[in-house]
Amino acid sequence: MTDVIVWPGWVGGIAVGLYALAQLLVSGQQLGVSSGFGSICGACLRLPFFRHEKFLERGTSSWRLWFLVGLPLGGLIAALTSPGALTASFSLGPMYDAVLPSAVWAKGLVLIVGGVLMGVGARMAGGCTSGHAIAGMSLLNWPSIVAAAGFFVGGIAAVQVLFRVFG
Amino acid sequence: MNIAFLPLGIAFGVILSRAGATTYDFYAKLFLFQDLQLLWVIAVAGSVGALGVALLKRAKAKRALFGGELELKGKPYTRTLVVGSLIFGVGWGVAGACPGTALAMLGEGKLGSLFTLAGIVLGTALYGVAQRRVKAS
Repeated sequence: MTDVIVWPGWVGGIAVGLYALAQLLVSGQQLGVSSGFGSICGACLRLPFFRHEKFLERGTSSWRLWFLVGLPLGGLIAALTSPGALTASFSLGPMYDAVLPSAVWAKGLVLIVGGVLMGVGARMAGGCTSGHAIAGMSLLNWPSIVAAAGFFVGGIAAVQVLFRVFG
Repeated sequence: MNIAFLPLGIAFGVILSRAGATTYDFYAKLFLFQDLQLLWVIAVAGSVGALGVALLKRAKAKRALFGGELELKGKPYTRTLVVGSLIFGVGWGVAGACPGTALAMLGEGKLGSLFTLAGIVLGTALYGVAQRRVKAS
């Protein structure tokens, strides 16, 4: 697994916060990622839900797919500017590897389930970690703060069970 | 404006990586209360953002430099928000990634995110199948 440089949490937090403000100032758009997955669905599926202008790549919504393309490129740059070698691997690091199945297909199945839960949950909640937790907290928007609390409760419950049962 | 979000996405991807948000085990450590790295990232980011938004409101800023109006209205409360946030949280903990970081992880060669990303697309599509009408969420 690629080892990347990690800043202290508060430094990372300042960087993320300043990024979100810069994006808002430049483009007017609040930070958000999960709706971009709706745009992907909107581009391939003819379902009424994805006909909403938010998921159609036009007008003020048309930034989401470009943003989604940029993120992996950013990860690549972060990896290339870290001292270790860039390696492709299905490893999740020592802790998750100890509790998840080691066969790639079985591990993949668990990750798909995790992804499905995030996809469904983000649409039910109206946003994900970036849209609710970071952008929503910046606006002191109470529904977002409730959602962020819910994310943490769900995460704590899942990981505590995962590591108690399989750890 | 649209393609300007390519460099913005790149910048955010680099920052997520440096913040530790693309390191799976930081999620396990967070939810087991062993290392609060990512809690600090979110809490400090939200606070910096809140300070900045307060300054923008004070300056009565209305328009973005290159886009339209500044989006300063928060997302609404909905009937499914609490249940949805709990479901999202379970996925977040199980996969050790969120939608943005799973994408950045892909660029770092963390191939597990291929599964996570496929799951997110599938979950989003399933939600869309379950909806009968056009609505924003």
